[in-house]
Amino acid sequence: MPVFRLVVNNVWHSVEASPDMPLLWVLRDFLHFTGTKYGCGVGVCGACTVHQDGIAVRSCQIPLAATVGKRYTTIEGLSAGGNHPCQKAWIEEDVSQCGYCQVGMIMEAVALIQHKREVSDAEIDAEMSDHVCRCGTFQRLRRAIFRAAREGNKT
Amino acid sequence: MSLTRRAFIKTSALAATGLVIGVEFSVGVAAETAAVFEPNAYISITPDDVVRLWITRSEMGQGVRTTLSMMLAEELEVNWPSVHLEQAITGMRFKGIRLRTSGSGSTVGTYNSMRTAGATAREMLIAAAAEKWHVQPSACRAEKGAVVNKATGRKLSYGQLAAAASRQKVPANPSLKSPKDFRVIGKPTRRVDSKAIVTGQAVYGLDARVPDMLFAVMERCPCIGGKVASFDASKALAVAGVRHLVPITSGIATGVAVAADHTWAAMKGREALKVEWDLGPNQNFDSDQFLQEEIEASRSTDGYYVRDDGDAAKALGAAAMILDAVYITPFQAHAPVETMNCLADVRKASCEIWAPTQCPDEARNEAAKMLGFPPESVRVHVTLIGGGFGRRLFADYVYEAVELSRAIAKPVQLMWTRTEDMQCGYFHPCGVERVAGGLDTEGKPIAWRQTSVGSNLSMYPLPTEAQRKNPRFYFDDEMPWGSFDNPYNFPHLKADYFPVNSPIPTGPWRAVFYPSRVFARESFLDEMAHAARQDPIEFRLRLLQPGDILRVGNQKIDRGRLIRVLQVVAEQSNWKNPLRGTKDRLWGRGIACNVYDEDCYIAQVAEVSVGRETHDVRVHRIVCSVDCGLVVNPLGLEGQVESGIIWGLSATISGKIDFKKGSAVQSNFTDFEVIRTKEAPAIETHIVASDHPPGGFGETAVPPVAPAVTNAIFAATGVRIRRLPVNLASNRPLATGPAQSHSTDNFRNIDL
Repeated sequence: MPVFRLVVNNVWHSVEASPDMPLLWVLRDFLHFTGTKYGCGVGVCGACTVHQDGIAVRSCQIPLAATVGKRYTTIEGLSAGGNHPCQKAWIEEDVSQCGYCQVGMIMEAVALIQHKREVSDAEIDAEMSDHVCRCGTFQRLRRAIFRAAREGNKT
Repeated sequence: MSLTRRAFIKTSALAATGLVIGVEFSVGVAAETAAVFEPNAYISITPDDVVRLWITRSEMGQGVRTTLSMMLAEELEVNWPSVHLEQAITGMRFKGIRLRTSGSGSTVGTYNSMRTAGATAREMLIAAAAEKWHVQPSACRAEKGAVVNKATGRKLSYGQLAAAASRQKVPANPSLKSPKDFRVIGKPTRRVDSKAIVTGQAVYGLDARVPDMLFAVMERCPCIGGKVASFDASKALAVAGVRHLVPITSGIATGVAVAADHTWAAMKGREALKVEWDLGPNQNFDSDQFLQEEIEASRSTDGYYVRDDGDAAKALGAAAMILDAVYITPFQAHAPVETMNCLADVRKASCEIWAPTQCPDEARNEAAKMLGFPPESVRVHVTLIGGGFGRRLFADYVYEAVELSRAIAKPVQLMWTRTEDMQCGYFHPCGVERVAGGLDTEGKPIAWRQTSVGSNLSMYPLPTEAQRKNPRFYFDDEMPWGSFDNPYNFPHLKADYFPVNSPIPTGPWRAVFYPSRVFARESFLDEMAHAARQDPIEFRLRLLQPGDILRVGNQKIDRGRLIRVLQVVAEQSNWKNPLRGTKDRLWGRGIACNVYDEDCYIAQVAEVSVGRETHDVRVHRIVCSVDCGLVVNPLGLEGQVESGIIWGLSATISGKIDFKKGSAVQSNFTDFEVIRTKEAPAIETHIVASDHPPGGFGETAVPPVAPAVTNAIFAATGVRIRRLPVNLASNRPLATGPAQSHSTDNFRNIDL
C-alpha cells in the first residue's frame, strides 16, 4: 500500500491505504475525526462536508490520491472550543435536532460566509440546498447563518 | 386483546407512568454509608456537588435529553443545565423502567415520573438538612442545588448533604410543585447537547469505537424476502484488509457480511464478492399492482367497522348531494441521514452493544435469546441517534451485528450503506382511502363513510379465520388512527378498515397510521365544503359544534380545543383575506387539522403557488396553531412543529418508494427527493395556552401537512390532488383557473 501524506487540521498525517479510498473513510477510520459523517456516499447529501484549502467539498468524493498537497479542515479543527461564529450561532438559534447532518451544514455555512460582509437568502438557498436534513432544521439554520455573518463581521 | 395495537405503539400508559420511585432501584437507599446520594435510578449526587441525571429515552432530535432533564431539574431544584446527563444503559439500574422511545410518548410517559423522582430527592435532601440543623423540614427550602434554612439563611449544598440524604426514608408521596411555581418547565430552553453536536464531539452509532474492532458492510439480496443460494468468497478475501465473509440471516434482508480492517476495505470486498441468490417468493411484487388491489379492496362493503354512528348507508341514500373520492398514498422510506448500524462485541459469556436504537430493551432481550445468554449478560449502550422516525423501533440491524460478531469472535461495526437503508428496511405502507359524504338540500353535511385499506404493519398478522368472523375485531383496537377518531359531528358516520398486508416489511413511520387517513379525511372535508359552497374553516367549525367531548374507544376528543386551534390559525394566517394571483403564478391557501391521540390539537394553513405555465408547486408559508396541553419546552415544541411539517412536506411533494420485481426502485437522495433549504416554507407556530397535561409532540405536526397543501393547490388551481406525492406525473397536467364549486358529477368522475 502506498503512503500518502496530507494536512488535516494543520497537522501532517501519513496514511497507508488504497489510493481510491475516499477521504471520508481516511478521516473517520484512520485519523479518528468522526465529526465528519457518512450519509449517501455519492456526494448528494452533504453530511461529509469538509474544507479543502478553505473551500467546502464532499469528502466522500475525494480519493486519497487526490489529497496530496491540499490542506483539509474538519469540524474538529474549525475552532478552539467551538467558538466559531457559525458554531455559536447554531447554539444560539437552537438549530440542531438529531444533529447528524449539522456538522456538514456548519462547514458549508462557514465557507459561505467567510470573506463576506453580507449573506443573502439566495446564497443560502444555493449553498445549503446541497445538504439533506431529515429533521427539517432549515428555518433555524437560515437564521443562524444570518446571525453568524453578522457576528463574524463584528470581530 | 389485553393490550391494543395503539397502546403497544404508544405504550404511554405502561410502566413509565405512575411508577413507584425507590422500588425500582433501591441500591442507593440500601447503601446507608454511601457518600453518593442515589434516591432512584434517575439521580445521583456526589459530595463534590456533581449532579448526574439519567435519561431513559433515546435522543434522536426530538430534544428528549433536554425535556426530561428539565422535568427532573424542576423538582430537584438544581442549577439547570449545570448537571451531567447520562444515557441509561440496559441493566439492573433501570430494571422495570421503560427505555423504549415511541409514539410521541416520552413527555407524556415521564412527566409524572421525572417530577416525582426529582421531588423525592429534594425531600430527602431537605430532610437531611433539617436533621443537621435540628429543625422541621418545613423550616427549610431547596434552591439552586442547596438546602436553605429559612430562618437563618444558612445553606448546605446537595453535595454536602449527599451522605446524610442517603440515610433518609424515601417519601411515599413527595409533593410536586404547583405549575405556577415552575422555573424551568415552560421556559423556552435551548438543547443541552448542542455544543457536542456543533463541535463534532457527539457520538452517534457510527462513531462508536472499541479497540481491535472491525468494520463491516453487507451484500443483500436484491429481492425482499430472498436469500443467499451460494457465494464465492475468494475474490473478496483477496482484497487487502478484508478479514471475514459471513452469511447473515438474523435481520430482514439477508445476505453476506464483509468484515474488514476499515469501511473502505469492506466496501471493496463487497464489490468483489460473488453471490448467487434465491430471489424468493416476492420477485414479481409490484407496488402499482398492489395499489390496484387495494383500490379494488376499498370497494368492498363488508369490512371491519371501526366506527358506526347512526345509519350512514341510509343517510347517504337519502342525501341531496353525494360525493365520493379515492385517495392514495405510496410506500415511504424513513431515510434518516445516519444509516442503520450497530457495533457488537460478543464474548464467551457476555455481549456489549452500541447502537442508535429506539428499543434497547427489546434489542437486549432478543440478542440474549440469540446468544443463549441471560439478558443481564447483554448490555445495550444507546448512542445519539442520527434520525429515528420509527425505523429504529426495529433492532434487526442489531441482531445482524451480534450474529456477525459471534461468528468472527471480534467486535465489529456493521453499517448499512445508503442504498441498503433505502431499499432493505421497513417501510411506511401505501394505502387507499375511499370516502363518501352526503349533504342535505341546504348544503349541511349529514353523512360520512370512510373505508381505509392499508397494512397492519409487519409485526401484526392479519386476522385469523375465526377473527375474521367478528366485524368488530378492529373496533376495540382503535384502528386506524385518523379514521375511527374522526372528530367531526356527523349524525351518520361509518368507518371501515380492511387490512391488506404486502410482503414488504412495514413499520411505524413518523405519525404511524395517521398520515394517509388524515390526508383523505381533511381533503374530502374540503371537497364537501366547496360542494356546499362554504368556507372550509367555517364548514369545519360548524361540524365541530357543540364543542363537546367526543368519546370513541378509550379516547376523549375535546372538540372545543380543536375549534380553538382552527380559530387561531384562521386569524394568524389572515384566512379571510384571500391571496391574489400574480402574473406567472396562481396562489391559494388550504386548511387541515387533526387530533393526535386525544391530547394534541393542531391546525395548519398552507400558502402555495402554482406556476401558470410551469405547473410547479411551491409552498411558501405554513401557519400552525397547536394546543398540546402544558408545554415543557416551547422552543423545543416549535422545533418539532418545523420538523414535522418539513417531514410531511417531503412526503407530500416528492417522497415515495416504488417496488418493481420485488425491489425498491429508489436508491439514494438522488431519486428519493426530500425537501431542502430552498424549498422549505416559512413556518409560524402559535401555541394555544393550555392547562391540560402535556401531550406528546414528536409526530403531531406531520398528518395535516399533505391535506393543507393539496387543499391550497385546489384553492389556487381548481385541481384536486388525490394521490401523493404531488409531483407524480399522473397528477399532471394541472388545469389553470380559479377555484370553483363543483357539482356532484365532477366528484363522481374520479372513480379509479
